[in-house]
Amino acid sequence: MSVSLLEIKDLTVGFPAEQGILKAVDRVSLKMEEGKTFCLVGESGSGKSVTSLSIMRLIDYDGGDILSGEIFFHGEDLVQKSQEEMIKLRGYKLAMIFQEPMSALNPVFTVGDQIAEAVMLHQKKGKKEAWQDAIEMLRLVGIPAPEVRARQYPHELSGGMCQRVVIAMALVCKPEVLIADEPTTALDVTVQAQILDLLRQLKAELNMAILLITHDMGVAAEVADQIAVMYAGVIVEEGTVEQVFSHPCHPYTLGLLKSIPGYESERGKDLYAIPGNIPSLAQLPQGCRFHPRCVPAREKCRLEEPVPHDLGSGHVVKCWLSEGAERAEKRSPDLPADMNQGEVNGGKEVRTL
Amino acid sequence: MREYFLRRLLQSVLVLFLVSLVTFALIHSAPGGPVRIYLTPGLSQEAAKVQAHNLGLDQPIPIQYVRWLGDLLQGNFGYTFKNHIPVGKILWPTVGNTLILMGVAWFLSLVIAIPWGIYNSTREYGLSDQSAAVISYLGFAMPTFWFGILLQELFSLKLNWLPLSDMYTMGQARNILNLLPHLVLPVTVLTLGFLAAYVKYSRSSMLEVLFQDYIRTARAKGMPERRVVFRHALRNALIPIITVLGLDLPILVGGAALTESVFNWPGMGRLFVEMAMAREYSVLMAITLLTAVIVILGNLLADILYAVVDPRVQLAGRGGRAA
Repeated sequence: MSVSLLEIKDLTVGFPAEQGILKAVDRVSLKMEEGKTFCLVGESGSGKSVTSLSIMRLIDYDGGDILSGEIFFHGEDLVQKSQEEMIKLRGYKLAMIFQEPMSALNPVFTVGDQIAEAVMLHQKKGKKEAWQDAIEMLRLVGIPAPEVRARQYPHELSGGMCQRVVIAMALVCKPEVLIADEPTTALDVTVQAQILDLLRQLKAELNMAILLITHDMGVAAEVADQIAVMYAGVIVEEGTVEQVFSHPCHPYTLGLLKSIPGYESERGKDLYAIPGNIPSLAQLPQGCRFHPRCVPAREKCRLEEPVPHDLGSGHVVKCWLSEGAERAEKRSPDLPADMNQGEVNGGKEVRTL
Repeated sequence: MREYFLRRLLQSVLVLFLVSLVTFALIHSAPGGPVRIYLTPGLSQEAAKVQAHNLGLDQPIPIQYVRWLGDLLQGNFGYTFKNHIPVGKILWPTVGNTLILMGVAWFLSLVIAIPWGIYNSTREYGLSDQSAAVISYLGFAMPTFWFGILLQELFSLKLNWLPLSDMYTMGQARNILNLLPHLVLPVTVLTLGFLAAYVKYSRSSMLEVLFQDYIRTARAKGMPERRVVFRHALRNALIPIITVLGLDLPILVGGAALTESVFNWPGMGRLFVEMAMAREYSVLMAITLLTAVIVILGNLLADILYAVVDPRVQLAGRGGRAA
């Protein structure tokens, strides 16, 4: 087994609020390996972005505090580093791309300038050389006529082009880890596929690890090697893409999978939606955080928080119901009987499209 | 760019014409008139009529307007009723005096307010930010003439550090050494007024920018915070500030009538007040038109600066920004 490039151990991140400190991320652990794609999946508000911003230590600027835990990168704990030390890593060894490509670019500088800037900051190159690197990078991310495009401003480019520029900016210093926070959410479907292909191709070329954050199980299935499903600040299920998609064990994972249009439903049938909403951090339910939305939840789920449970070969689930799930693993990827039962009842809140 | 300027120029001519029409109508419909000033108990109706006739005031208003406009187009602002002095001779020196006073105050307030506002935006609700808030409240709430009188009371009457009023001490050479001490008090009053607004504008404009996604991108690139603020944020924050500055430009020339009156500063603001009392139409009209020209120029200048700072603004073509 290869050594982890980036390892998060028991990371807890809080935001000070009137009600006290709200923990947006609670004891999250994950390991990223070189050249692999790790997908963090979950609804909005599940703590995915906070986790990724914590790795970059950009969370400091958003008012968040890393309360406990460690983030090891090459064996060094990023949590202990000062911002001055992080500046040397950010954009160099650790890079990040964001959800809205249009607003992620500064409107008053040319895209070439914005890419070259990263080179000048980290590689001590002159403006001319940095500009050459920027053009080279634009070519690599598939922008036609990069010499011309480099002199243009973000508003002169389309959304897909802007995301390519953002990717070029993140990758120009050949980082070891790329964090992509919903990189395709703001783009239309055909462009989405192109961008995902591009990321996959660049990952192979630069041999970097990618942490892909998405709410879209379809995207995760396409690019992930490893998947972690997050819910209300905790990882509820983790495993290889094969384990999670073929044998989903957490009711939340199942719900997410069933919500993919065309995954199970047919045309004209109701689309599946998990009943209820993600709880507010100020009013987290007792016991398992998912239990109010979990149809097969039992008494124990309401009282005690589940402990991580290894189903074997790294497939970890945080659910009391999965205690007997080793058996379920051998069955079809279908639901355990009582879960199927529940869905009929839960169907009240299902939308009709 | 050229097309844009031509279009703006034509617009400006039209606006100026309308301004002249409206002000002329307003001033002439105000109660009282220049003749009344010369009316003395001994003056007969006949004599008053002759007087009015000599001044051209017995003509119908439209005729008066056309004659005045005709003179104006030849660069002639007209003459005062009272001593028949060319208006330009009274007006231009006051413009210069106002520019000195307002220019210094404006420049000073910008130099203080913009860096201060930026600093405060990065340390929201810190000591510096709180003090700026208090000073802003004072600047907005205190009537300038009252603040001016307080300063006069303290610094010239009680402490005798600074001259009470006027631009130069009489009987001394009119040089900068004479001017400077006279500038201190009125400039203080005016600077506080400008500062109150500008420190708030620059702070809020900067705050808004600092929460934009591209600022996070800049940080994610590994950029030191100073550079994030001064390179990536400032340029964007300046865009709305430029609008405010452009709109304030006319004040520079128009002057502050109250401050100039309190400090007996021979500027255009004070002139306007005096001439309004004396019903000197031609002077009032000249000042109004001059102000209109500056307003138009200020807007134009702001638009050009916009295009310089913000690449999204295109001046040329049909999509150009209107005033």
